[in-house]
Amino acid sequence: MFDFASVTGWIDGFLRSHLSSALSFFIECVLIGLTILVAYAVIALIMILAERKVCAAFQCRRGPNRVGPWGLFQTVADMVKILTKEIMEINHVDRFLYNLAPFVVIIASVLAFSCIPFAKGLQVLDFNVGVFFMMAVSSIGIVGILLAGWSSNNKFSMIGAMRSGAQMISYELSIGLSLLTIVVLSGTMQLSEIVEAQNDLWFIFKGHIPAFIAFVVYLVAGTAETNRGPFDLPEAESELTAGYHTEYSGMHFGFYYVAEFVNAFIVASLATTLFLGGWMPLHIPGWDGFNAAMDYIPSILWFFGKTALMIFILMWFKWTFPRLRVDQLLTLEWRYLLPLNLCNLLVMVAVVACGWHF
Amino acid sequence: MLNLTLFVVVILTAIALVAAGWGIGAWISPRTYNPQKGEAYECGIPTRGRSWMQFKAGYYLFAILFLMFDVETVFLFPWAVVVRDMGINGLLSVLFFLVILVLGLAYAWRKGALEWK
Amino acid sequence: MENGSLASTLVFFILAAVMVVCSILAVTTKKILRAATYLLFVLFATAGLYFYLNYSFLGAVQLTVYAGGIIVLYVFSIFLTSTDEEKNRPIRSYRRWLGFIAASAGTLLCVYLFNAMPWGDAYHAKGAEVPVKAIGNALMSADKFGYILPFEALSILLLACIIGGIMIARKRR
Repeated sequence: MFDFASVTGWIDGFLRSHLSSALSFFIECVLIGLTILVAYAVIALIMILAERKVCAAFQCRRGPNRVGPWGLFQTVADMVKILTKEIMEINHVDRFLYNLAPFVVIIASVLAFSCIPFAKGLQVLDFNVGVFFMMAVSSIGIVGILLAGWSSNNKFSMIGAMRSGAQMISYELSIGLSLLTIVVLSGTMQLSEIVEAQNDLWFIFKGHIPAFIAFVVYLVAGTAETNRGPFDLPEAESELTAGYHTEYSGMHFGFYYVAEFVNAFIVASLATTLFLGGWMPLHIPGWDGFNAAMDYIPSILWFFGKTALMIFILMWFKWTFPRLRVDQLLTLEWRYLLPLNLCNLLVMVAVVACGWHF
Repeated sequence: MLNLTLFVVVILTAIALVAAGWGIGAWISPRTYNPQKGEAYECGIPTRGRSWMQFKAGYYLFAILFLMFDVETVFLFPWAVVVRDMGINGLLSVLFFLVILVLGLAYAWRKGALEWK
Repeated sequence: MENGSLASTLVFFILAAVMVVCSILAVTTKKILRAATYLLFVLFATAGLYFYLNYSFLGAVQLTVYAGGIIVLYVFSIFLTSTDEEKNRPIRSYRRWLGFIAASAGTLLCVYLFNAMPWGDAYHAKGAEVPVKAIGNALMSADKFGYILPFEALSILLLACIIGGIMIARKRR
């Protein structure tokens, strides 16, 4: 199986043979930064295009089809257009917080993004508290949204931000507990080790019933955490115009838009990593020929294939279910998902303690 | 040490992303002035009152419940890492912890704190 | 590595400067939500300090509980207050004195702790990340230095907090 560590190792060796060690270290840092920047932007563009295409397919429309073949460059054109739009500030905004909020949202999103193991040897941040770290940094985004809503001096923004805050903190609990269920099964929090541990079988099969329940809970909570439909009431356009980013224009608005889509990608890729083996090919213990055949498919294709499937499911949710009311939303989390999750955690511990997993 | 360096690099990247997008946007976009533009985008008629209004206590209640269960999750993470090695002891040691917290949840449920009124 | 230790010392002093400056700004600013934001920066820098010392678990805890939980709770409590009395009422002089006494006591305590603490090279990053398994084993062990009893007692503390929070919020309604 192709290991991306060989590519990075080659670049490292090449730089070190020509330059001093401090300079090559600096260049490597810049290269890593640029790679993250480009990957972040490209994934955001692909996500937005996919959303529009999938939405069109669900509504029996064509979707964007004029710019480039099959409308592939539509979102690139959109990006150029949004850059040329005026960035304006309305009266009486708290200018410092208003301008700070996009930074907080984007920093949270980029930090979580850089923890994802995209392929074998292709991961930037690999803390030994990986899963927990991702949960921690994504909780920073809530503060950014609250600041954006408050500083905008707009009642719709304010209500949108409050709803968003209440929704995101509630569903973060479910995310945490369903991740905890998988940590119990894997015995580690480091994302690279979690992927390696799925070498013999993916966790969703290894942990069978409790893992599957955790998977479903995670998908529901992840959809709510990213404010996507049917949980999109913070930005319910028919009642709140646009929610917390009503008063942002041009590229300022673009940051929220991009962060929202990349956060959906992060949720999908974390589901892939924890439940569906990440970049690990489908290995079934005992079937050596089958396993060897699966290894021929590059790890990056496995990762993006599974993530694309997860993203499609998230979009399917969005375009199928009607929007929830705020009381239904909180009831779902606090009365159903949270007790279910706690029970599920105990079931998983029992399964692991008694060795009933595969 | 390596992780810390990468951490700093990633944060700087995120700041650079926002700064670059904002800078380019501010540089190539037009700027016009119009007194109407400074109005809040609310209803079309001039807005009344301040937008910083008093919100209901429900939000605060959910925030405090969240905080309690968040702290609980934080303490369960190190436990979850070792429970595999501890076997049945791991289950017993956390059972008390979870039962007490479920009592808290049941109390909140009973008092109607989990309802949105 | 001379270069590396210089850079890491620099990181430490940047974090310390952020903490000091933002703490001062948090108490001097007139807008309450800005004060919460500056406090958020102080908490971020504290988390950064933990990551810098390779206590990545503690750093992540700091981010989740303080930056993601406490600050959101503060913001929600700020939104609970009514804005009518936002006019700056002059502080009464006896309160000023009380504040001065409290601040001096805090300063004295800090100076004492500074002197009592064996600094050495405490602000240099240590070896490798603390393994989570070690934390878990310490938390779950019933030995002399185990933390199983505090861990179980914590659940009762959390229960008390839940009940207290509900009581206060219901009274306010």
